Order: sequence, then C-alpha cells, then structure tokens
Amino acid sequence: MAEAIAANPGRAARVARSPLKRRRSPLQRKAFPYLLVAPAVIYLLGITFYPGLYAIYQSLFRVKFNSWTFIGLDNYSKLLGDNEFWASLWNTFLMGSGALLIEFVIALTLAAFAYRDPFIRSWRILFLLPMLFMPSAVSFLWKLAFNDGRVVSDILMRIGFIDRPLDFLGDIWLARLSLIITDVWQWTPFLFVIFVAALQGQDAEIEEAARLDGARWSQIFWNISLPMLKPIIAVALVLRGIDIVTMFTSIFIITGGTPGGATETMSYFIYRTGFKRFDFGYASAASVLLLALTVIIAQTFVKRFFRSGRD
Amino acid sequence: MSRRRKSGKAGSLALRYLVLGSWALFCVVPIIWFLTIGLRPRTEIVLPQPLYLPTFTLDAWNMIWSSWPMGSYLRNSLIAIFGSVIIDLLLAIPAAYSLARYKYRFREDIGFYILSTRMMAPAVVAIPIFFLFKTFGLLDSVWALMLIYAAMNLSLVTWIVRSYMLDIPPEIEDAARTDGASDLRILVSIIVPMCLPGIITAGVIAVIFAINEFLFTLLIASTQNAYTLSVALANFTGGSDGIIYNAIAMVAFIAFVPVLLLVVAIQKHLSRGLTMGAVKG
Repeated sequence: MAEAIAANPGRAARVARSPLKRRRSPLQRKAFPYLLVAPAVIYLLGITFYPGLYAIYQSLFRVKFNSWTFIGLDNYSKLLGDNEFWASLWNTFLMGSGALLIEFVIALTLAAFAYRDPFIRSWRILFLLPMLFMPSAVSFLWKLAFNDGRVVSDILMRIGFIDRPLDFLGDIWLARLSLIITDVWQWTPFLFVIFVAALQGQDAEIEEAARLDGARWSQIFWNISLPMLKPIIAVALVLRGIDIVTMFTSIFIITGGTPGGATETMSYFIYRTGFKRFDFGYASAASVLLLALTVIIAQTFVKRFFRSGRD
Repeated sequence: MSRRRKSGKAGSLALRYLVLGSWALFCVVPIIWFLTIGLRPRTEIVLPQPLYLPTFTLDAWNMIWSSWPMGSYLRNSLIAIFGSVIIDLLLAIPAAYSLARYKYRFREDIGFYILSTRMMAPAVVAIPIFFLFKTFGLLDSVWALMLIYAAMNLSLVTWIVRSYMLDIPPEIEDAARTDGASDLRILVSIIVPMCLPGIITAGVIAVIFAINEFLFTLLIASTQNAYTLSVALANFTGGSDGIIYNAIAMVAFIAFVPVLLLVVAIQKHLSRGLTMGAVKG
C-alpha cells in the first residue's frame, strides 16, 4: 500500500485531501459550468434574442409614431408583393455572390503563389493593408476615385480603354460593379490571410514526397493541398458570406441605393423603411425575413464547420 | 529536357511575382493616393481633371481639430471600444473555459448559440435595439455603443479564447486540482496566464471590429456626445460644399495607425483570430 502511494504521489494527495473537496455539494459541482457560461448567454439573449422577438412582434403592427395598430400578417403580404423588397433581395444576391466569388478566386490564387515563399511572407503585411481601414473610410476612398474625383475614369482614359469619362454611379451595372470592387479591395485580404495560414499549416513533408515522385507544383496544389484546405475554405467563406449578405456601410456612403434602387441591399432596405420612412412595422417584417435567411445560412453551414468542444 | 524545365520554372516564378506584385500595387496605390488626399487643400480634390501632383498642406489636420470636435470623437471611440472589450473578456473567459473543459448537457447547443449571434445581421436587430435604448434613455450615449460593441464581439471573443484553452493540456489542471486548488482559482491563476496570447488576439480583433462598426453607431449616435470616428466621417460635409474629403482621409489615417500597430503585434495569430479559432496558423 505504501509502495503504491509512493509510486503515485498525485493519487496520494487526492486521497488525503478528499474531505476538503467534498465540501462542495454535487449539485454545486454540476451547476458550476453552467454558472460560468450563464452571464455571456444571458447578455447575448438580451441583446439578440429579445430584439428578434421584438421584431417579430412589431412586424404584426402598423406603427405610426407611438400608435400601434394590429394588422396581423398584412406587412408580410404587402412585402411579398413589394417590388422594391424583391429588388433588394436580388441586389444582395447579385452583388454578394459576385464579390464573394471574385474575392475567393483572387485570394486563393494569391495564397497558392505566396505561401511557401519566404520573400513574399516577409512582405505579407502589404497585402493586408486595405482590411485595416475603417469600412466607412474605404467607402469614401472609392466614392472619390469612381465618382467625385473621376480618377478611375481618368486612368482608364489615359490607358486608352475608354474615350470619355464613365458615369460610374449613374449606370446600374457600373454602380453595382463599383460596390463590388470596393468590397473586393477591402476584404480579399481577409480570405488571403486565412488561406495562407491554412496552407502553411499543412505538413510540408507530404508536398515534398509528392515532389520527389515527380508531381508538378500545380498537381500538388490541386490534388493535395486544396482538398486538405476544404474545411477552412468553408469556414472563411461562411464568415465572409454572412458579412456580405448584411452589406450596408458602402451602400449608405457610396450610392444610397441609387440609381433607381439598383444597389439597394436588404440591410439598406430595412434601414430606409425604418429610419427614413418611419414605417417600423414594415421594416420589422423585412428584418424577420432577413433573420430567417441568415438563420438558414448559419444552420446549414456553421454546425458543419465549427466544433465546440474537445472531441 | 532539364533545361526546358528550368526555363519553365523561371517563367512560372516570374508569373507568380507578376501576379503578386500587381495585387500588392492594387492594395497600396489607392492608400498612398488617399494619403495625398489628406495632405492637399480642398480646392485640389474635386476637379474636372484629377490632379496627381497637388500642393502639400496640413489644412485637413488643422481643420479636424479646429472645426470639428475631434477630441470628443476620439474620446467616444476609446471609451466605447475599450469598455466593450473589457465587458467581452469578463464574460467570455469563464464562458470559454466552461465550453472548453466541462462536459455537460446542452454544451454543444450553448456553444452554437453563442457562435450563431456572430451570424446575426445588424439590420435585423437595429430597430428593436433602437427602441430598447430609447426606452432606457440611452440613445446618443457612448454607454449604449459600449453595450452594442460588446454584444457584437462576444461570440468571437468566446470562440477564440476557447480555441486557445483547448490547446492547454488538461494534465496541468489535474496537477493543480490534486494540490487542492479550486476550479475558479485554476482558471484565474493557471488558465488565463497560459492562454494570454489568445486573450490578446481576441481583444485586438474585437477592437478592430468595434472601430469599424457603422450601422448601430449611425442609429444610436446623433451628436458629438456619441459620434465615433467611423460615423463622424460620414458627417464631414460642408453643406453646399459637398463632402470634405481631405478631412475624411486624415481621420481615416488617424484610425489606421493604431490598428496597423495592433495587427503587426498579433500577426502570427491573425488568421486564427479571424476564423474564431478554426485555423491554427
């Protein structure tokens, strides 16, 4: 017995101190992890769950200043017949998928070129700079470049691509393109930094073995590195996708939804309905639909790509 | 054969550097141009023909300090942002520890609930939150912004810290526990110091997102009592004179410098932080 204790001093200490530990009741021990997590959950419930419920409730009313009239699902049926709402949904999808696709392709290409290159790695910060500016400032930068300062037109004219200045914010497709470029410029670095880190984190020996077997660099990337990168690509795209679906700042600053609502996203539609037209019930109905959309995205993707505990 | 392969290799290297170099230029040139905007007089910004060699002046710098309450904007930003990060850390560290170390019913669901709040569109909750703060008389106050920024970043702070806690071998805690340390004591004097890099990373990323926040601040702030740098920018308009771009550019760089320093400081952890711990870079 003495030998066993000597061989396992930790156990001996545990045995000796067990009365001390017992002072906390089993119930207390069971409750402890819940108590640790409770403040954060309560805080989040207060500031996301409660507003969600409030939006659902408010969406059933016609709100004129302080008078609320119950109108059931009228806001929703009106919304489903509202061309502006459908246009905002379409614009969100169009600009969002365009921006996400371009960002993904560029970031992956750059990351594939950069990740094993010590020279590029030491200059990596250059590629991150756009991400470090406030989105509102970036929006003004591109508003000035595209429209107010006519810089982009001027440069394109000097190169010889066009012979008279383009009205970037006056044309439906050019306005959308301007917003996409703004988003791509600022947020491609977000995907790039994640992809580079993920590629660098992979086992270099597998690549080396493939190289010794005569595989070309592009073969190694497509057949070995990329498949291993899949889960991380998914995480990065979900995070970026959610931010793009809720795109607001650049719309507010650069176009305000013009020309003719061609760049109005769902977020901007809700903002305009609520805080410019003061039609809060109607805006809440649109919020609930946007909420449903983001919940679907979150439920579909998030659980698959994040793990909460140790497996 | 081997020579052809070699020249192909040099060619592909040149192509690589061409692509990377062009993108680096595309990133940097607009920034340098925007810096020159901040350093030129207002009369040389919005012109029929853009001017590439403007006069150098510190007009914008003087203007933001004399014509606008720049001091208030800075103070509001600092109070709201640092307050929110402190709230986040106080709430997130215990929550992260609970998610990382204990096995209990609903743990997964609680973890995903916290994560899913990151996916919430600001526009969805904007109207209810506006009314909520109106009820409590918190509109146009930095305290409201602090609470909002904290809520917005709580999920990512929790998940980042949790990811770093999972890296700590449980044996260390077992050893401390056998020495009679309570769970709370283990958290405070062993776990927190050991995952300090994670806590700092989470804090830095929360600071950046809080600086960037626009929609909530736009709705809640209506005067210099609560305007932060991000939203104050949108009000740099001189009535009929239009947007005052040189002041905007100047403020953009004032906010940019601290963010750059913070990011350089946590550069190694950046990708892990941005993916809430999913990538261990």
